[in-house]
Amino acid sequence: MRSIRETPDRTSPPRVVCAAVILALGPIGPVACGPRVAPPIAAEHGDDTPPRHGGTVRLAEIGDARNLDPAGPVDGVSLPPVHLMFAGLVDFDDHAAIAPDLAESWAVTEEGRAYRFVLKPGVSMHDGQELTAEDVKRSVERALHPSAPNPTASMFEGLVGFDAFVEDRADHIEGVEVEGRYVIGFRLKEPDAAFLPLLAMTTLRPVCRNGGWRYSDDWLPCGAGPFKLPPGGWQRGTSLHLVRHEAYFRPGLPYLDGVEWTFNMQALAQRFRFEAGDLDLVRSLSQADQRRFSADPRWSPYGGTDADTNVYGESMNTRTPPFDNIEIRRAVASAINREHYRLLKPAYLTVLTQLVPADIPGYDPSVRGQHYDYDAALEHMRKAGYPYDPRTGHGGWPHSIDYPLYDQGLLVFTAQLLQQDLAKIGLHIELRLVSWQAFLALQARPYGAPISQGSWDMDYPDPSSFFDPLFTTRAIDPEGGHNIAFYSNPHLDDVVAEARRESHEDRRRALYARAAAIVCDEAPWAFAYSHHWYRLRQPYVRGDTPHPIWHVDVTTTWLDRAGRSLEQVLGEGLRR
Amino acid sequence: MKVARRLGTALFVVCAVVSLAFAVEELLPGDPARMAAGVQARPADLAHVREQLGLDRPPLERYAIFWERLVHLAPQHSVPAPEHESCAVVLAFAHRELHVNLGKSFQRRQPVVDLLVARVPRTAALAVAGLSVQLLLGITFGTLAAVRRGSRIDRLLTGASVLGVSTPTFIVAFVFQLVFARELRWLPLDGYGVTWTDHARSLVLPALTLGIYGAAFYTRLVRDDMIALLESDWVRTARAKGLPAWRVVVVHALRNALALVATAVALDFGALMGGAVVTETVFRWPGLGELSLHATLDRDGPVVCGCLLVTSIAVVLANVVVDLSYPRIDPRARG
Repeated sequence: MRSIRETPDRTSPPRVVCAAVILALGPIGPVACGPRVAPPIAAEHGDDTPPRHGGTVRLAEIGDARNLDPAGPVDGVSLPPVHLMFAGLVDFDDHAAIAPDLAESWAVTEEGRAYRFVLKPGVSMHDGQELTAEDVKRSVERALHPSAPNPTASMFEGLVGFDAFVEDRADHIEGVEVEGRYVIGFRLKEPDAAFLPLLAMTTLRPVCRNGGWRYSDDWLPCGAGPFKLPPGGWQRGTSLHLVRHEAYFRPGLPYLDGVEWTFNMQALAQRFRFEAGDLDLVRSLSQADQRRFSADPRWSPYGGTDADTNVYGESMNTRTPPFDNIEIRRAVASAINREHYRLLKPAYLTVLTQLVPADIPGYDPSVRGQHYDYDAALEHMRKAGYPYDPRTGHGGWPHSIDYPLYDQGLLVFTAQLLQQDLAKIGLHIELRLVSWQAFLALQARPYGAPISQGSWDMDYPDPSSFFDPLFTTRAIDPEGGHNIAFYSNPHLDDVVAEARRESHEDRRRALYARAAAIVCDEAPWAFAYSHHWYRLRQPYVRGDTPHPIWHVDVTTTWLDRAGRSLEQVLGEGLRR
Repeated sequence: MKVARRLGTALFVVCAVVSLAFAVEELLPGDPARMAAGVQARPADLAHVREQLGLDRPPLERYAIFWERLVHLAPQHSVPAPEHESCAVVLAFAHRELHVNLGKSFQRRQPVVDLLVARVPRTAALAVAGLSVQLLLGITFGTLAAVRRGSRIDRLLTGASVLGVSTPTFIVAFVFQLVFARELRWLPLDGYGVTWTDHARSLVLPALTLGIYGAAFYTRLVRDDMIALLESDWVRTARAKGLPAWRVVVVHALRNALALVATAVALDFGALMGGAVVTETVFRWPGLGELSLHATLDRDGPVVCGCLLVTSIAVVLANVVVDLSYPRIDPRARG
């Protein structure tokens, strides 16, 4: 057995001395005390050791989980626990491809209008009941019923009978049919190639019978996932403790006894707890700490990045001058130096030149996209009728343009970069700091914000999750539509609709490549970057691979941690 | 009569504050339904959530509902009726119940009363502990500095109090976390814990953080007041009568200085009951400050109104108590 502390930290002064120095010098004390990145806590066995059962993995989040019911609003914090508690008919594998989960097989018929799933028999839910097709139907209707606070219900409007059900004209959704004890069928109004990814998300995942046919705020979440919520396991606003579902349908899994999240924990506190061995994996390190750990050879093998699943860019209101002029939009798309954006947070940002991020299935590297080209930007300004001479500073758009932004670290800096880049082509933007809510309200108004930062995170891993809500004509809606560029192009609408119906993978990819080319050329957005998280684990956390969709999926994670060092035990004892 | 008049004024102030909060919530740009549903919710789902939260009704109607349901009588039931599921029973009598209902949180979908009941005691504990540290240090150091006016101790304490007042709370919190939690490992870094011992240990650092800032303020306040009082006629007379020095300082000077301290304490206590937002957030202390911060950012109107109701009640009650206790502290106020 190896020692717990693989390499004792001999470079740092004793803790008491450091404490005294910090008290004397205040916040600059840590600097005087030297770089104090604690050493990793080594695994007990070598890399070839088979997985072991037991232990609880401890995680933390800066935010709070608001809801753990798949029929409610599932945000970024609650997504991993909801995924671990509720198994779906299908799921995503480590490459975001569709994989069977509760369904052992499925068939797509009627040219993509009908999906028929055969459930694995003998699947035990957390309450001990066996999962049947009736449970699936009940869970679907529970999630889509108007009484549920489900913000994604309308994504399933393609189901036959959805409208009648939502408008309370029918008690059940006609297009969800129980065809046998273990067979469930879904019928769609028209073919939808995105139906499987949509189904693989958490919204329609089966819930236990005590969840009933209708949503209730008081229900104790209960599903068929690898971990279950014990009574009192969720201390709202504070912590969440899930325990192993002993009767999970995948034999031998999960390895862990439990998973524990602590919420609302600041980044610095996460770092300190992680170093002390009180957290096993962190995803919210500050940029300074990320650099510190990445640069440390003891830690670098245990760090990595999550997938890019979002898009950030400059959204230009196509109804408002000067961005109603396509050449001006093209000029902006060419004038932005995306590499400068990336350098603001190099470990967290990836340059994005097209709409779909690289880690989303359907991303097409052959799409040329938007690129920085200063000469081209000047040429577009000339074609727009507003030539700009960079030597004299004459020309360009004669008015200043409002750019609303809210006080969020990165946005404040990207806005200044944008201001500088656009000034070089004769577009002068004026930054206007507003609250987050005011920012959203301005973006939603047809003439509210001429240009502002647009951002979008995938709802499900498919190009349709980006094109449909952001750039189609039907997504223009003053009551909260997401086409904040108010961009409308019937040709693009047709291509995107056709791609959504197309089940043949190559033809679908070609259609989305055409859509991407249109959007990049007409530039309702100047795409800029996507954001991902840096994650760091202790060496004794095994089997942890960043999941492209769920980010934290500990179904196959196991702990190989030996007894704790005297220092840690004493430290913990004192802390308690 | 005086007490009743003061309580009546207090009630008016509380109603005015909550009404103002309601109005501000209405006037601010942004859509609370969108904050509840998530910024990526589609318009159809958004409309649906808006309807569920009652936000599709006119503001005046919602304002009337707010007051109507805030305190009401309901028939006694073993299982609460759906319309009373977010109520707290304050009193039961003759098959009737007196309910308090602040509605449900848009974000957490929990009764606001439940949220407040869980968090008010934590914030009260932090406020009392923080204020105790402030008073203990502030009165001691202020008195010492005044008695030793012009000495090295006076200069040291005055300098330290300037530093304490001008250092942002989060810096103090950070230093305490580094020293006592990370380096020495004597106390928890943050959190609230599970047992009573956990709670007590977790309370130390946030209370000290609040205490340092306030102690600096009280040190200056007491010092300045005490210097004036120690030069007053009655203190000189007391000295001339040969009373012990400690008795002159504590009984004759400090007691008079406490009237000013009491006024400041009343205001401070009310403010702390509103939640020490920064301290609670940094130390993950699940009190009202952390709750109201998130509620404000999320446009969670019912929670914002609930927090303001508690805060305004705390402020006015603290002031009423201090007003009524002035005569005990300062005999001149009895007239």
